[in-house]
Amino acid sequence: MRRNVAIISVGYNGRFVSKRPDISIVEMLEAAVRNALSKTKLKPHEIDAFVVGNMHTFEGVNMGHLWASEHIFALNKPVMRIATGGTTGMSVFHCAYYHVASGLYDVVCAIGWEKHDEGDAQIGLGGILLPEVFSLAHFGPDFSGRRGAGLGLMGGGGGSTGGASFQAASYLAKSGGGIEHIDMAAALMRANAAKNPYAHLQVPDCKPEDIAKTPIISWPLRYGHTCPTSCGACAVIIVAEEKVKKYAETEKVAWVKGVACGTSDVTVGNVHDGQITDPADQEMCKIVAMKAYKKAGIKNPRKEIQVAEVYDGFAHQVLLWPERLLLVDDGASPKLIEQGYYNIDGELPVNPSGGVTSTNAIGASALVRVAEAALQVMGIAEGGHQVPKKVKNALAHGWGGLFQFNTVTILGDTPVKK
Amino acid sequence: MKRRVAIVGYKLIKNTKASVWTRERIYYELSRALLEELEITRDKVDTFIFGSNDFADGRTISECYLIQRIGAHMKDESKVEQEALNACVYAWMRIQSGEYDTAMIGMVSLASSQFKPLLVQNHVLDPVYERPRGLINYYSAAAFQARAYMERFKNFTESHIARYAEKGYRNALKNQYSLQVIPPSLEKIENSEPIYLPIRELEVAPYADGGGVVLLASEEKAKKLTKKPVWIDGFASIEDTYWIGERDLVKLDGLREAGKRAYKMAGIKNPEKEISFAEIQTFFASEEPIIAEALGLFDEGSGAEVIEKGLSEINGKLPVNPSGGSFGGNPMGGTSLLGLINAVKQLRGEADDFQVKNPKRALVHAQDGVCAQQNTVMILSTGGEK
Repeated sequence: MRRNVAIISVGYNGRFVSKRPDISIVEMLEAAVRNALSKTKLKPHEIDAFVVGNMHTFEGVNMGHLWASEHIFALNKPVMRIATGGTTGMSVFHCAYYHVASGLYDVVCAIGWEKHDEGDAQIGLGGILLPEVFSLAHFGPDFSGRRGAGLGLMGGGGGSTGGASFQAASYLAKSGGGIEHIDMAAALMRANAAKNPYAHLQVPDCKPEDIAKTPIISWPLRYGHTCPTSCGACAVIIVAEEKVKKYAETEKVAWVKGVACGTSDVTVGNVHDGQITDPADQEMCKIVAMKAYKKAGIKNPRKEIQVAEVYDGFAHQVLLWPERLLLVDDGASPKLIEQGYYNIDGELPVNPSGGVTSTNAIGASALVRVAEAALQVMGIAEGGHQVPKKVKNALAHGWGGLFQFNTVTILGDTPVKK
Repeated sequence: MKRRVAIVGYKLIKNTKASVWTRERIYYELSRALLEELEITRDKVDTFIFGSNDFADGRTISECYLIQRIGAHMKDESKVEQEALNACVYAWMRIQSGEYDTAMIGMVSLASSQFKPLLVQNHVLDPVYERPRGLINYYSAAAFQARAYMERFKNFTESHIARYAEKGYRNALKNQYSLQVIPPSLEKIENSEPIYLPIRELEVAPYADGGGVVLLASEEKAKKLTKKPVWIDGFASIEDTYWIGERDLVKLDGLREAGKRAYKMAGIKNPEKEISFAEIQTFFASEEPIIAEALGLFDEGSGAEVIEKGLSEINGKLPVNPSGGSFGGNPMGGTSLLGLINAVKQLRGEADDFQVKNPKRALVHAQDGVCAQQNTVMILSTGGEK
């Protein structure tokens, strides 16, 4: 039956950046896997299986793992590919967890990546809403006009900022916060990112006033509230309890205590029974969080969770998710961010890594949340973004689809008792 | 320690050239019909796994709008972006972990009516060297593979490839859920348009709109849900190298390894004797002998003999693709799910006109990539002897 599973190592290909014209997708993956392996006693051939994922419509390579087989050391090994939109990274991680928890394999490597400079993420995002036009743009006869078609789609689908602004506006209305609170959240993320050597948009000592200077692109979201499109890969190695001593380099490992995922229907103004569903409600996130807490044996998350890594594609979600994950009261975030509650040295540090607002390689982002939570539990986060207290439990959260997928992973410094 | 996992039910739609139903409608109708047949509500399904591909679906995060249609809202859902048989493997893991008891997997592909499948397939090629040159694609690589087999085993000729295609069409006609095309004559297949020789137009599996849903359950639940559970005895998935120049296209080492591991897990020592029939995934008629031999179902190089003597016919020694396989319609990405469903049908004795006599164990195969780069093999049984 269920076995205990631990993360023994986390690897990145390097700092996440806008463009990596010097390497191909597979070389990027190789760098991440090598980096993760270098922090273990594992040899490449000792990995039993791989779980990989990215949003391949963003970079135009279908099933990139086929091309990457030797690069990720997966030659003659089982490889499973998972993709679920923004949650891809964590869905990959969950799949890797089930690989080990089911008793089938002992050592599994989870890899998430995105190389945004090779495609147009907004074409891909437009494809959520407009599949026919997307098909035409991608597969239709006019390949030369692809760039132009992409720009047309950005107008049509609006990318993700259009949808997110509904959520942000609704959130502000409900919580009583203002744009200044989103500015604060964005500034916190940029400043945290400066302490994370792998983060993309690093702005040391970023102030809310700096963010407030950027223009509004879709009210109430400013340019400074949005995430960059990054290139990067993340690899996480997990092993069964019996193999931890054999393969982990140090005693510091992060135990996977509970994983949960939940889906609801697309919620951008959908009408159900005469009511328009509110993208800021995220009722499913609460249900998923409760499921994960239950599996992890956590009774009072507000006391027992020391740090949270949430999926904040846009800065207002730094405020939204801690509430929906039941870590603070509904509507409390604007006040709390004013008090510095979410700072690295605050009561509940949220995204000490800088979050998705500062680094977004989409297929990797949710896996990076798990990886960063693991680093916090292990106490080895580099560059000053380690929280200055003992982390017993950390929460990682992923969000995606069309405002509908939520994934939660709880990591801890001790395994759950069976 | 291990729980056994069974397939307790399935539903599929008939393959068509252009579905009049949307993907959303198909998922809704199929999952509802399956739940009604098993007399359960969707509350009893713990987790859902889609087995589809954004490229084949032509939509980013293609399951976005399918969640409520299959009944996965408020549930734990995921999507395996490989051949749909891999979704079954993931569902097995989830049940095996003890965190779930039942899982529904689904795949519906409308690749035939939406756009040119070849254009989508070519996106698996590496964008740096192979794709821009346009020399390697699924078709040309299959031609290399067929030619290599013909070179190695001289008694295998172009007309044998046509005979494999003819067998596929003929079997498919007996399968009510296939495309139901009138089987072309051997002569017509042999003289059809050359695509990349020795592959000809009618030796390519016809694309179709189709799909299905399958419900898996743990042993305790399965026995409550159905009188005819079909057990998953073993499986394995192996990825070979991407570069076809570095692979022996006739030997298919990756597939051999996958077969070996699946047989080991299922406790099979002599596949030739212990497997009752196989549902393998082919895009081209020429692949059938190569894959069947790599799986140890027939002797190496016996491709000509097998088709001449009818060893792989429905009433033969070891039937291969009694349902017609992808020659009854190839819904891209979902072909292996139809293979799985057709194998379950056989084992439950529900295969009507294409029923194999008294089958005990079935092999289901799925492939991804050019020339079967990644292969998944699954062994199913009626579980009588265990």
